[in-house]
Amino acid sequence: MTAGPSGVGIGWRPEIAGFVAGLPGLRFVEVVAETVAPAGPLPDGLAELRARGVTVVPHGVKLSLGGAEPVDPARVAHLAGVAAALDAPLVSEHIAFVRAGGLEAGHLLPLPRSREAVAAVVANVRRAQAELPVPLALEPIAALFDWPDDELNEGDFLTEILDATGALLLLDVANVHANARNRGGDPGALLERLPLDRIAYVHVAGGTEQGGFYHDTHTDPVPAEVLDLVRELCDRRRPPALLLERDGHYPPAAELRGELDALAAASSYPVIT
Amino acid sequence: MAGPGGRHAQAPGGGDLAGRQAELVAALVAGGPLPPGFATAPVEAARRALLRKRAGDVARHWPLLAAGLGDAWPATFAGWAAGRPTNGSLRDGWDLARELRDRDTLPPLGAEELAVREAAIRYDGRTAPRPRRLPAVARAGGAVAAQLAGRVRLLRPAPR
Repeated sequence: MTAGPSGVGIGWRPEIAGFVAGLPGLRFVEVVAETVAPAGPLPDGLAELRARGVTVVPHGVKLSLGGAEPVDPARVAHLAGVAAALDAPLVSEHIAFVRAGGLEAGHLLPLPRSREAVAAVVANVRRAQAELPVPLALEPIAALFDWPDDELNEGDFLTEILDATGALLLLDVANVHANARNRGGDPGALLERLPLDRIAYVHVAGGTEQGGFYHDTHTDPVPAEVLDLVRELCDRRRPPALLLERDGHYPPAAELRGELDALAAASSYPVIT
Repeated sequence: MAGPGGRHAQAPGGGDLAGRQAELVAALVAGGPLPPGFATAPVEAARRALLRKRAGDVARHWPLLAAGLGDAWPATFAGWAAGRPTNGSLRDGWDLARELRDRDTLPPLGAEELAVREAAIRYDGRTAPRPRRLPAVARAGGAVAAQLAGRVRLLRPAPR
């Protein structure tokens, strides 16, 4: 098994594969698990990164661990297969649901912060863990709305799930910012309540204001408030690794390098550009 | 979809997570009513954000279709996709392109992309598209494409 993620990394996407391959200090990337075929050849560029010893973390987006129905065994098997094909140290997925009643949402949807939802997530995480060859890290999502019947606050909701499953935490500071901005709450107070020692790595991404909401688009530059939150997190307890996510509207290489450098500066990890 | 007093209208915390999740997804992607207790404006903002994200995903699978529509792409896609759950970006774009073709509003770039796709891949509109094994000719909006032994060529561009 390869080493766990460390330092500054970037989300590997086919559109920026050339840029990513040219980063001299790169030690880890993340790939969307659903875009990799476990049995087939790895996407162009990803195999070369593995040959260079770069750690690749498969990141699932369609498992629907928060669904009330049992997680689809074929999707778990796919994630497990991708982890094996990439010799990954861990995999990650979201605390969310993406389908229900036979309908695909096409997006990560929030759960009620209820005991019933905790039980549903825990059951699905255990089902997944039983089949996965490596540890699983769970990522809380950004959401524009809450369910009407929350029984727990966000910190307790996450901590109960992590405690019951032993899963690692993938903390997205842009999501923390977005949720505080859209749903209220103090991002610092959330960091206070989360088991920061359980963080495997951290996501950082850009978003934009639209219609009175902050949208975590991954298509915009990382705003100053999110970098401030990275600094605040690192002051409390610096996570082992931080990863820049960019999906679509890829900027010129100089701008992407600037974003990676800003992330390195905010976390005091070595620059990788 | 069940409203107040309906099958899923249990009290908060009443233990029907599956039904309530199904109601929420239906409200977001299938034109269903907003389940009780949810705030209207944030859920509506999420519904619109979801359509924008889908439009971007479909544009990556159908770049010429999206480019052909230009500034009209987001609204055209959203108008078609609202209330219509996704079948995946490939099929969503395919279904939209066929609908625009049938309405005679498919732009030339989109017509050429559709013709090339139809020559290469068999899609019945209901199940997952499959590569064609036999030679095929496909037409869309005046564009003509042909596939022979897996190689696809645009024989005639769509009229500008």
